[in-house]
Amino acid sequence: MENFVFGIVTGSIILLGAVGFSMTLNSDHFVNVAHGQMLLLGAYLALYFSKLTGNFALGAIISVIMTGALGMLFYAAVYRPIKTKGPLILLFTSVGLSYFIWGIVGAVSGSQTQAYEIPAVRAIRVFGTPLITSYELTIILVAVIFAVSLHLFFAKTRQGKLIRAVADNHDLARIRGINPLRRALYVWFIASGMAAMSGIFLGMISSIDLELGWKQILIILSATVLGGLGSTYGVMFAAILIGLSMELGILILPSHYRSAIAFAIIIIVLLVRPEGLKSVVPALRGRPVESDMESL
Amino acid sequence: MMPGFVLFLISSLTLATVYALVALALNFEAGVDGLWDLGVVSFFAAGAYAYAILTVGPPDQMQVYRLGFGLPLWIGVIGAAGAGTLVAYLIGRASLHLKHVYYLITTFAFAEVIREVLTNERWLTNGTAGMYRMAQPFKSSFETNLYPLVLLLVMVAILVVVFIALNRVTKRPFGRALNALRENEDLAATAGMAPYRYHLRSAMIAGAVAGIAGACYVWFNTVIVPQQFTSSITFVAWTVIVVGGLGNNRGAVLGAFLLILTEDVLRLFDLSSTVAVRVASARVAVIGLILMAVLRWRPRGVLPEKRPRFSRSEALVPAEAPAQGLQQVGSGE
Repeated sequence: MENFVFGIVTGSIILLGAVGFSMTLNSDHFVNVAHGQMLLLGAYLALYFSKLTGNFALGAIISVIMTGALGMLFYAAVYRPIKTKGPLILLFTSVGLSYFIWGIVGAVSGSQTQAYEIPAVRAIRVFGTPLITSYELTIILVAVIFAVSLHLFFAKTRQGKLIRAVADNHDLARIRGINPLRRALYVWFIASGMAAMSGIFLGMISSIDLELGWKQILIILSATVLGGLGSTYGVMFAAILIGLSMELGILILPSHYRSAIAFAIIIIVLLVRPEGLKSVVPALRGRPVESDMESL
Repeated sequence: MMPGFVLFLISSLTLATVYALVALALNFEAGVDGLWDLGVVSFFAAGAYAYAILTVGPPDQMQVYRLGFGLPLWIGVIGAAGAGTLVAYLIGRASLHLKHVYYLITTFAFAEVIREVLTNERWLTNGTAGMYRMAQPFKSSFETNLYPLVLLLVMVAILVVVFIALNRVTKRPFGRALNALRENEDLAATAGMAPYRYHLRSAMIAGAVAGIAGACYVWFNTVIVPQQFTSSITFVAWTVIVVGGLGNNRGAVLGAFLLILTEDVLRLFDLSSTVAVRVASARVAVIGLILMAVLRWRPRGVLPEKRPRFSRSEALVPAEAPAQGLQQVGSGE
């Protein structure tokens, strides 16, 4: 049971990271390796600002907004100018950006493992057994709220529809008078902000170190592939599934293999069914943007 | 006794040779052929561990690995090349039907799984404690003082042989077929080249070269631990070939030496350990900036791939259709 709860928590953290990653993949059609480093950036900015303000929640919120803003800045300054040069150039530019962010964070903060100064909490007891801490509950709630509100945003609001229009067909959207740059900036703000949240939550349940971004990007990739490239709902579902299988898998396999389970899942999924979950569960399919994904 | 500076330079150059070998391997499958492999470290690790297990003696009391054949060194090197090829074959067999991003993610995932296995299967690798006292070539024939130089020369000799061999393969029909598949797989297939078989072979050649590089890495370090084989090796190799010029073997070698020397120059200064950690990070940030700058303003690298020129076809192709290297690999589909 403990593992199950923790699996949901891990899954929620992956969800926040993976949905953002998948949004940037849909909107700009390349694998943004630097997304992992946005988690790192968010986690360290929260550390810095919570020390500065003396309030962890406030520091975390500042960090989320700042990371979102930096995401927009990176997009406008780094990716946008080379957008026409093809996905491989964009991919390796994002590797360069990853090195850059990682290096700056490391130079400023040093390489030691750090933790947030938040009070230790007891697990809430349900029927006499300790089940979940208030932190873990917060993480799950935030993930659920974001999943639902993103769904509403994309399905119901005008801005959400415009973003999807640009992702579907960039040129057609422009001809119809939609400014693609503005939509892309919204996407990068939301995606990077969510990455920051994911990084901060990771720090809350364990600790933060410089390798956080590199470790997490692979798990995010697994969730994205398992969900099926291009399907936001598939990715949400896949994130929870991967979180659960990582935490439940260690009941069977030695616990050192925790993250290997996630990677083994990608390998198996890609070999058996490269389209991911969305090919199995039709409801996850969403709008057909796959035509673009094929060319990646 | 050699002065410290010279020793330092020799050690940097030796490491650069190892990276040049990995970069050459990656350049063959990713530059000459067009495979987006984010798992070249798998072949490298397989080679290094194969060499270690074949040549290391039986374990001492502190160690838990069970195998350790103590075989001669040249068998170790052949084993390293063989292990690299085998891993490349297995991974390629499983994932080569996938395209581009999917292939990239699968190979990345394979690399991580392999590293986890190396970390956890202590009976095979002695886990994170690692194996040490690795056999080095011609160790007993030279004085200890002189040995670093000898090792460098041995590795440079290997690099030269590999370089010439790969260059020849690249220019042969096989290499040109890979070029054709990279540029336009469908068209190449209609011309009778079986994509899957060619890709598998190019991955296996890359595996063999990276495997040998793994053995060289063991010579350089004399110890082997799983932490040496993170995906950062893959990213460094990609940075090297992208900066050096994707598809150009000379670019790969030049890129490796440039990168390692820029990294190591800063080590010359005497820094306290806390400052040194920060400086090391800042150095990575600078490399990131260089990579971004090269991709933006010189996307074909410092030494761009030379395109073969055929006088007749030049007349047929309109002049305003320039070859774009990386760009075309990505957007040409």
